[in-house]
Amino acid sequence: MTVTAYRSHVEVRRAAFGRLVRAEWTKFATVPRWMITVTAAILLSVLLSGLVAAGAGENTSNDGGGPPVSADPLQPFQDRGHFVSQRRSGDVDVITRVDSQTGGGDWAKAGLMIRGGSETGAPYAAIVVTPGHGVVLRSGTDVDIAGSDGAAPTWLRLTRSGDKVTALESADGVSWTGVGTVELGGLGDDVLAGLFVAAPDEVVVTRQFGTEAISGNTAYTTATFDNVTLTGGATSDWTEREHPSGPAVQDDTTGFTVAGGVYTVTGSGDLGPDLFSPDSTRMVLNTVLVGLCATIALAVLFITSEYRRGMIRTTFLVSPSRGRVLLAKATVIGGVGFAAGLLSALGSLLAAKAMPGGLPLPDLFAWPVVRATLGSGVLVAAAAVFALALGSLIRRSAVAIAVALLALLVPQVAASGLPLDVANWMERLSPAAGFAVQQTVPRYDVAIGPEAGIAVLCAYAAIATGFALWSLKRRDA
Amino acid sequence: MEATIEVRGLRKRFGATVAVDDLSFTVEPGQVTGFVGPNGAGKSTTMRMILGLDRPERGTALIGGRRYRELRSPLREIGAMLDASAIHPGRRARNHLLWMAHANGLPASRVDEVIDLVGLSSAARRPAGGYSLGMCQRLGIAAALLGDPPVLMLDEPVNGLDPEGIRWIRGLLRSLAAEGRAVLISSHLMSELEGSADHLLVIGRGRLVADTAVRELLSAASGDRVEVRTDERREAMAVLTDAGATVAVTEGDALVVSGLTAAAIVEILTGKGVAFRGIAEHRATLEEAYMDLTRDAVEFRALAGEAS
Repeated sequence: MTVTAYRSHVEVRRAAFGRLVRAEWTKFATVPRWMITVTAAILLSVLLSGLVAAGAGENTSNDGGGPPVSADPLQPFQDRGHFVSQRRSGDVDVITRVDSQTGGGDWAKAGLMIRGGSETGAPYAAIVVTPGHGVVLRSGTDVDIAGSDGAAPTWLRLTRSGDKVTALESADGVSWTGVGTVELGGLGDDVLAGLFVAAPDEVVVTRQFGTEAISGNTAYTTATFDNVTLTGGATSDWTEREHPSGPAVQDDTTGFTVAGGVYTVTGSGDLGPDLFSPDSTRMVLNTVLVGLCATIALAVLFITSEYRRGMIRTTFLVSPSRGRVLLAKATVIGGVGFAAGLLSALGSLLAAKAMPGGLPLPDLFAWPVVRATLGSGVLVAAAAVFALALGSLIRRSAVAIAVALLALLVPQVAASGLPLDVANWMERLSPAAGFAVQQTVPRYDVAIGPEAGIAVLCAYAAIATGFALWSLKRRDA
Repeated sequence: MEATIEVRGLRKRFGATVAVDDLSFTVEPGQVTGFVGPNGAGKSTTMRMILGLDRPERGTALIGGRRYRELRSPLREIGAMLDASAIHPGRRARNHLLWMAHANGLPASRVDEVIDLVGLSSAARRPAGGYSLGMCQRLGIAAALLGDPPVLMLDEPVNGLDPEGIRWIRGLLRSLAAEGRAVLISSHLMSELEGSADHLLVIGRGRLVADTAVRELLSAASGDRVEVRTDERREAMAVLTDAGATVAVTEGDALVVSGLTAAAIVEILTGKGVAFRGIAEHRATLEEAYMDLTRDAVEFRALAGEAS
C-alpha cells in the first residue's frame, strides 16, 4: 500500500530550556489552590511578624533599667564599667601603674580610658590589663588589639594628639612599648581621661527544647592604681561615670577611693561586644518559616501530584528529556520560593517596623539586614529545590514533605536541647544551616556565618537534585 | 520522516513476570491498526516502551525511524493518550493543554483548535476534576492531536464513551488515517474495533498472536461458507453432500455449507427440486474471527494450566 506520509502542519519554535520553564510555570500557576497557598503564606508571615514585634516589645519593657547598650542594634556593644576621669582639653597624656586586680574573672579589665563624652556610644579608646588575656586596646565596636600577655602589676599609658590616641605599655614605667594607635572621629577639644575598670557578667545560659534563658550574675572587679599622672589642658575634679551591669547600683560594692596616691576603683559591667543581645531582625524574620513550610509542601506536590495521577507520563511524553524537566521544575519552584521568601521577609520587617512601641529594629538598608532579607528569599528557594528533589526521589507526597520538613526544622529545635558544641555542629552540617543567613548580629550561639550557612543548604539542594536526576533517568516513569 | 511505529524484539520483565516477550511489529501509515489482547496481555507496557517511559530489557521501538527520546518536539511526531484521567483536578482543561503546547513550542491558538475539534469548547474553562470519563477521553484525544502528528497511539480510546461518542471517535480515527497518518488503538474488546480497525495486532501473554489485515482475517474466518435456509433440511443436506460439500446444521432451519459457491448451491437445489427460502454468504463477526484466532492460544494455556 502506498500512502503519502502525513506531516504535521503546526509550526514549532526552536527547542529551548526556556519553553520548558514556561510550561512548568503554566502548570504551577494554573492550579488555583497552589497560588492561593503561596499568597496566604506570605500574608500570614507578615501578620505574624506584627504580633512578634508587639509581643517582644511588651517583654522587654520590664527587662532591666540599664542604659541603652549601644546605638547600633546591629553591633550590640556594652559600654559599661566604672570610669573615673578628669575633663582635659587639647593633647593629653595619662599614665598609671595597675598595681593589683581582684575579682571579675579572666576578662576583668583595669586600665586607662580616653573618651569624647560620658554618653553611651561616645568615641573612646581604652587600654586595659586582664587577669587571663593580657593587655588589650579597645576602641569603638570593632578595634580589639592585643598587647603583651602579662597581668597586673603593669604600666599603661594613653596619649592623645588631635584625633589620634596611642596606647602603650611598660613593665617598669621607663621603656614603653606601643600597643596600637587609633583614630577617634568626632573627638572634641575636651576629652575625659582617667581610670577604668570593667567586668563581664557571669552568664548562665539555660537551653531547653525551643527556649533559652540567659541569666547574668553581676561580677565585680576591684583594681588599685598608683603612679597616676595626667598631663595636658585644664584640670577638673575627678568625676565618675558608672554604668554597672544590671538595673541597680549597689553603693557598698562599687566605689572609688583615693588614699596616699593609691586609687582604688571597683566596678561591674563590660566594655566590648555583647554576644547575648537579641537579634531582633532575626526574630522578626522567623515568620518566614510559614512561607518556608508552605513552599516545601508545594515543591513536593509539584512533582508527587504528577506521580500520583500518572500525569508525570504526560510530562515525559511532552518532554522526553527528564533531566531538563526536573531542572525546569526546580527553576520554577526556586523562583516561587525566592519570591515567597523575599516578600515574606520584606513584609515582615515593614510590619514590625510599623508596629508602635515594638521591637527596636535596625535600618532596613544596612547590609546585614539586606543580606538577611535577600537571604530569606534564597533560603526558601533552596529549601524548595531540596524538597522538589526529595519529592522526585521518594515520589510520595506525605513521606517527602515529612522528610523535607524534618531535615530543615528538627536540627533547629533539637539544637536548643543539646549541649552548645553538639548543637553548633548539627547546625553547621544539617540543611538547617541555611537559617544562619537570617543572622544580623554576632551572638554567642552563632554556629556558622550567614554566607557559609546558606551555602550548606544550597549544597544539600544541589546534591539532592543530582541524585534525583540520576534516579529519574534510570527508573521507569 | 515515515509515519510508522516499528517495534523490534521488545522484551520487558517486572520482577519474575515477563510482561512483553520478543515483540515485533510495524504500524503502517494510512490505516487504523487495532492492538488487541485481554487485560494484562502487555498492551500498555508495550505502548509505554514505545513512548520511552519504560525501559525495555531488550529490543527497540522507533517512531518514524527514531527513538522517542531523540524527538525534539515529540508532540509533532506522535500523539499519545495513555491514561485519560491523568490530569490535575484543579487545573482547567484549557490550561492542561496550554502547558503542553508551551513545552513543545506550539502556538496557543492550536490549543483552541483541538478543543473545538474534540467538542470540548463549552467545558474547556472548567476544572478538569469535574470531568466525566467521556470528557476526559476527549481531552486526552485533544492532547494527542495538539501537535498535529503523523502518528497517533491511543490506549483504550473508546473506553467510557457513550454510543454517540463511540460513533464520533470511529469517524475521527478513520479520517485521521485517511490523511495518511498511522493510527494505533488498543482495546481489550475486539467488538470495540469492529468497524474502525483496518489491521489487527493480537497480543496474548506478551507475545504477538496475529498480525493481519481485518479483511483477510474475516474472509479466512468466514471461509467459503454459505448459509442456506430451507424447510426441507434433510433433502438439502443429502443432495449437497452428494455434490461434495460439507454441511453443518446450525439453528432451526439453517444449514451452513462449505465447499461450494452460493451459485453452485442454487443450481443444485433448483435442479433437484429442493425448496429453499434464503441463501447468503456467511460473514463472520470480528469477535468470531478473534475466537478462532485465539482458540489455539487458549487451548495451549488450558493444557499448560493442567500440566502445572
